Amino acid sequence: MEFWQNSINVLVLGSIYVLIAVGLSMIYGILRVLHIAHAGIYTLGAFLSLSIMEVTGNFWIALILSAIISGFLGALMYRYVYKFVLKEERIVPLIVSVGLFITMQDLYRIIYGPYKYPFSISIPIPYIRAGNFYISPLQMLILIITGIILIGLYFVLNKTRIGVGLKACANDSQMAAAVGVNTKLTIALAFFMGSALAAVAGTLVGVYDNSVYPTMGSTVSYKAFVVVVLGGFGSLKGSVIAGFLLAAAEVFLVAWKGFFLPRDAIGFLVMILFLIFLPNGLFGRKER
Amino acid sequence: MGYLMTLGIFASIYTILAISLNILTGYAGQVSLGHAALFGIGAYVSAALTVNLGFNYWTALPLSILITALVGALLGLPSLRVHSDFLVLVTIGINFVVVALFKYTPFFGGPYGLLGIPRPSLFGESMNTFEYFLYAVGWATFTILFVYWMSKKYIRVAFEAIKEDEEAAEAMTISVARFKIYAFTISAAFAGLAGNLWAHYMGVIFPGNFSFSKSIEIMTMIVLGGIGTIRGAVLGAVLLIFLPEYLRFVSDYRMLIYGLIIVFTMIFIPSGLLGDRSITWKWTRIFKKGDRVAKNNEN
Amino acid sequence: MKKFLAFSLILALSLTLLFAGTYKIGFFAPLTGWAAADGSSALHGAELAIQYINDSGGVNGNKLKLIYYDDAMNTAQAVSIAYKLVQQDHVLIAISGSYSSTTRAAAGIYQRLGVPMISAYAVHPQITKTGNLIFRVGTLATVEGRAGAYLAVKILGAKRIAVLTIDNDFGTSLTKGFIEEAKKLGAQIVYSTKYPLGETEFRTILNTLKQSKPDVIYATAYYAEAAHIVFQAKQLGIYVPIIGQEGYDSPKFIQLSEGGSSNDTLITTDLNRDSSKSIVQWFLKTYKEKYGIAADMVSASAFDAVQVAAAGLKSGTTPNKIREGILSIKSLKTSVTDIEHYTKSREVFRPITVQIVLAGKFHFFREITDPDVLNPER
Repeated sequence: MEFWQNSINVLVLGSIYVLIAVGLSMIYGILRVLHIAHAGIYTLGAFLSLSIMEVTGNFWIALILSAIISGFLGALMYRYVYKFVLKEERIVPLIVSVGLFITMQDLYRIIYGPYKYPFSISIPIPYIRAGNFYISPLQMLILIITGIILIGLYFVLNKTRIGVGLKACANDSQMAAAVGVNTKLTIALAFFMGSALAAVAGTLVGVYDNSVYPTMGSTVSYKAFVVVVLGGFGSLKGSVIAGFLLAAAEVFLVAWKGFFLPRDAIGFLVMILFLIFLPNGLFGRKER
Repeated sequence: MGYLMTLGIFASIYTILAISLNILTGYAGQVSLGHAALFGIGAYVSAALTVNLGFNYWTALPLSILITALVGALLGLPSLRVHSDFLVLVTIGINFVVVALFKYTPFFGGPYGLLGIPRPSLFGESMNTFEYFLYAVGWATFTILFVYWMSKKYIRVAFEAIKEDEEAAEAMTISVARFKIYAFTISAAFAGLAGNLWAHYMGVIFPGNFSFSKSIEIMTMIVLGGIGTIRGAVLGAVLLIFLPEYLRFVSDYRMLIYGLIIVFTMIFIPSGLLGDRSITWKWTRIFKKGDRVAKNNEN
Repeated sequence: MKKFLAFSLILALSLTLLFAGTYKIGFFAPLTGWAAADGSSALHGAELAIQYINDSGGVNGNKLKLIYYDDAMNTAQAVSIAYKLVQQDHVLIAISGSYSSTTRAAAGIYQRLGVPMISAYAVHPQITKTGNLIFRVGTLATVEGRAGAYLAVKILGAKRIAVLTIDNDFGTSLTKGFIEEAKKLGAQIVYSTKYPLGETEFRTILNTLKQSKPDVIYATAYYAEAAHIVFQAKQLGIYVPIIGQEGYDSPKFIQLSEGGSSNDTLITTDLNRDSSKSIVQWFLKTYKEKYGIAADMVSASAFDAVQVAAAGLKSGTTPNKIREGILSIKSLKTSVTDIEHYTKSREVFRPITVQIVLAGKFHFFREITDPDVLNPER
């Protein structure tokens, strides 16, 4: 019984990790930027949803509007910030990203105050319970939305022109430009989609934890990387599997031994061992 | 005066840290976002030796540097197998695991930290803040001179070769593995020194002092100042120590402006304030005679 | 003209220093970064106390002035601030509205520079041991842990207790006091584990906890973790009483715990919202009006820290006089339970109130006055 309940926890926690990482994975796949400010967009998404829901009263409108606005901001971030530093050493965009993240976090604190806001919604999903085993409506919501997003992404990336362009850019952007892909637009689109997904993730985690606050992105800023890099350079499939593997490692180690180390340290410990045996991640190819 | 001297001590310690990370990342090209772990190991080893085991400061100093260097060599081993962003991730992971170990090990005080770490004594009397300031500045100067001397040696050439292209370096009969471990060890030794200086100035250390955000801060220092240069590391360290203090007048907007300064500096001067290719560095060179010749040679 | 302006400025400044009759109180707290919520609450509480004291005539006819800086939860900044407050701002006494690490690091500097410091709510047991000028307003965590055990065993009659410990000095000290006292009173600890600060996913450990069939859960936490613990426990069908501490003591705890799951939670704390004392009601009401958010334990502690500082300043402005003034406090009326007196190790002696959450509000449940439980010197 305990095992099955913990398995549900793995699925939910894994879905959260995947949600957070999948947007970053698109951006990282093309630009190889360690985009820490992604976590800033994630927080922004949660705050926007909260504010829009206060005005409209409808969670779904809030979720979609917040995703679109955050997406645009992400694209602007590429156009007005990252574009200038992409040709530099790879550490430079990282530091820019760190600066952006510090700025964004503090901006939220100034606007919304430092406190945690509750974010509760009611959703028409029944509570599934059998003896000691249960799935709460919010857990179900997260599983369903993650499923929809992953199927949608699979479709967009494999069956549409946008997807072909994204893949071409991820493989070799100069080559892609040579065969007529509008690389600038494609990269902006990747930022748009990635940031919109970050906003969705932020909103859902905000609802799931019933709290939205300015520094909610700080764990995400590095956790998302673990998943993306572990999955192998920008491979979506890899990110999804890595997200669930990380969640499984954390949940079952904690169930077995308690918190012998903090959760993040347990996750990182597993990751280090993993990388020593598989130095190129799950589905990674060697970087150029 | 105590205020300025304290900032001076912190700036000196961070100068050592920034220069040590610069050896690893700027010279040898191994990007580490876990440098605070080595800083922490230096601090914790020295604190544990003096507080828990009753060692004298002057014995603890070389021991803490030595042990940190050894741990650094050990932590460098994954770099032989894991590359680029995977290595970045491993270093982040090491930072989290090391901090967690300090926090969960009773010998290191656990969440209570280690307290009552003595100031070093000189002629039987423990140093006051001014003396400690001179002491810290002395070590920072030594670090600058040592690394400057080292950068004129073969080892620097080997580091640069590894940074540019590992396979090519191997073809030039440079042992990549050996020099990578050298880079990690030397870098760790200086980080250990910085940790020692920090612990014995603060008198108390806590696991949270050496968190991942510190690693990011040290990396920001060298990139902002100009990666791959000693002068850049020094400027970055001094700037990022003094900036938050001198931004206090804007009170509530302090961190916001701090973040914006980093973003805009990097956008407009991407190779860092004093980086080799930066505009600001070239301006300072205008006043030097004979520089034009050097510049032409460069091109 | 410029010279004249500068001259008059300097003159004005020196005149204010000579005749203004203000007592400067230094204050530091994390106003940015991850701890900004508590830092801001502390600052608000302190500001309100300054207003309260100045409105009723100040201290010996002198107005109080608060000079505050943000330490960003960084020990280095807390140390620099200590020098700045003492040597540049010339404060008479300093108050920490910050957590343990920054408070303990700064305490060393204040002691060295000979300026008294009061820790508002930092719990590290070593803070007051820094030296003879360092005081604490909050209840010592081990004492509060003992009070929790007294509540669990003596009042609720628990035999089998499960303990969750947050992995910092706060949780570790509370659990230490709790387990010692609970065992002494004859209860059995059937499950004990620690968890990391900021954790949101407790289902895994709660699953294991459930197997041990406790009749009471003692969970050390801050309000964010606590909200998750009480909610997830009810989800898993764990309905035994949960005992918390001052970390829970914020309206945010009730707001963040979903579906009314915070109801019936018992906490040991200082702040009694049902108190009939006028200063408590003034504090709760004015705080809400001024800052648009309900007061919590952190803001109340900072409020009291200023009151203790004022009590010290009443007997003089030299460090020794302030110190003696604080040590001679008798039954000081504060925004929480009254401070009966300070002990020789500069800790407070005061009763602990037990509050219960009923219909989404904290209410008075019991007061623990057993001197053996409350004695910080034990």
